[in-house]
Amino acid sequence: MLVDLAQNTLDGLGTGAAYALLALGFTLVFGVLRRANLSYGPAIMLGAYAATWTSLHYPAGLLALAAITVGGSVLAGVYVERLCFAPHRDAPGPGRERRSSAIAAMVASFAVWMQFEEAATLALPRHLYAFPPLTARPPLALGPLALRLEALITLAIAVAVCALLWWMLYRARFGIAVRAVIERPAAAVLAGIDVSRVSARVFMLASAVGGVAGFLVAATHGQVTPHLGMWTTLKGLLAMMIGGLGSLPGAVAGGMLLGVLEAHSQWYLGPQFRDLSVYLLLFALLALRPRGLLPARRAA
Amino acid sequence: MGVLLEVRELVTAYGAIEALKGVSLAVAEGSITCLLGPNGAGKTTLMFSIAGVLTPRRGSIRLFGEDITGRAPSTIVARGIALVPENRLVFPGMTVRENLYAGAYQRADRAGIEGDIERMFGRFPPLKERAGQGAGTLSGGEQQMLAVARALMSRPKLLLMDEPSLGLAPLVVEEIFRIVGELHREGVSIFLVEQNAHMALKVAHHFYLIEQGRVTFSGDPGSLAEDEVIRRAYLGAALR
Repeated sequence: MLVDLAQNTLDGLGTGAAYALLALGFTLVFGVLRRANLSYGPAIMLGAYAATWTSLHYPAGLLALAAITVGGSVLAGVYVERLCFAPHRDAPGPGRERRSSAIAAMVASFAVWMQFEEAATLALPRHLYAFPPLTARPPLALGPLALRLEALITLAIAVAVCALLWWMLYRARFGIAVRAVIERPAAAVLAGIDVSRVSARVFMLASAVGGVAGFLVAATHGQVTPHLGMWTTLKGLLAMMIGGLGSLPGAVAGGMLLGVLEAHSQWYLGPQFRDLSVYLLLFALLALRPRGLLPARRAA
Repeated sequence: MGVLLEVRELVTAYGAIEALKGVSLAVAEGSITCLLGPNGAGKTTLMFSIAGVLTPRRGSIRLFGEDITGRAPSTIVARGIALVPENRLVFPGMTVRENLYAGAYQRADRAGIEGDIERMFGRFPPLKERAGQGAGTLSGGEQQMLAVARALMSRPKLLLMDEPSLGLAPLVVEEIFRIVGELHREGVSIFLVEQNAHMALKVAHHFYLIEQGRVTFSGDPGSLAEDEVIRRAYLGAALR
């Protein structure tokens, strides 16, 4: 009984670590642009497809595939930023009208999502392709618990990525600019910070973080499908909403919580109820705490 | 004293609505120049236009004779104009020190930046005490000091201040105006937008009245009776 609980939590933390990375990427973009990027997951999917294509045609090691996934996600991310978000920034100054441009950006990112899915299925038309697994070794035995190595690797990489992000955002000059743009874009402009340049860089950074998550997910599942795009957008968005819109610690917490919740509901309710119960919980959470668990402070 | 900033026939519009309808004015080097006017007269629009946040439709803005009209805000900060915005707009989740770093974002001289931060702490002792504290926890007056210090971190030749006394207690307002006078003595030229005409006229060398997007008066304090200035600054000439 207790063993089940512990085992599910352990499994959930592994998945949750990948969700946390996805949510971090989502949150970074949302933080600087105040826009939901629906193409976030599809760009990651395209990166994973580039790696899959490579592994089908050339003998490539896991590290090379990871680099291709991340590189492909960043390239696709730049394409999304240039096409969907750079032309639809908020006009600065008082009394600005932001609604129309927010909707234009979101619809544009939806169109690019479809574009990416089509591109992926044109390059690799079968529904499912094998992705080289992260590890072939059996799980470690921790007393009565089994610790999957994939989960351990995912967790370790997620911790490393979080540490790197923390350093970039809280210890480097770049981080001052990013946080200034997140907190008060109008004041950041006045401080001489080039908001569109910072936003574009954050977009690349977010795509890279998402790419790392995409690689870990594809290699853990040992397969890719075109649905990976929607799946990553959904998980990232969900974890971000649970944690609190625009909050980086919230993204990590939301991702971990989502992973653990999924593991438990899958075990106790069965896989067919896993997503249903998670969405019900999200609904309840948003009804009670509309800004999520650890909402970001943001000034007007 | 030469002309530091010259604004000529400036028109800035939001869509079809012209907020500035051909504003011309000048700020002399080493002076405190003040802009008074009622709400909605275009004061903030003018400040944002000079800072490059809004792009004027017509007219020109020159700094030391160089045309800076329509330049990016980051370029204008680098050229030597910094704006202390209305309502201060400090970065609340960042520490006081980080706010100052943000103000120096255009600069690359690390040692100079650290030295300037120490100078700011010397000038504004409350900021030194709260260096590691989130700026959102500061009082209104302290936030105003931080906003001024942040702007000064770019080493501006011209400091634009938009309603620095807004929402502050009278004693704090006195303190802010004392700082304005001090900065001026140190050689910073100041262009000040104020609702508090009484305080503004005490420090200003020259002032302009702006009403409905047009400059309607220009002169030295004393060239127009103060109650007349105050009446027009609050109500606008249209109601006479």
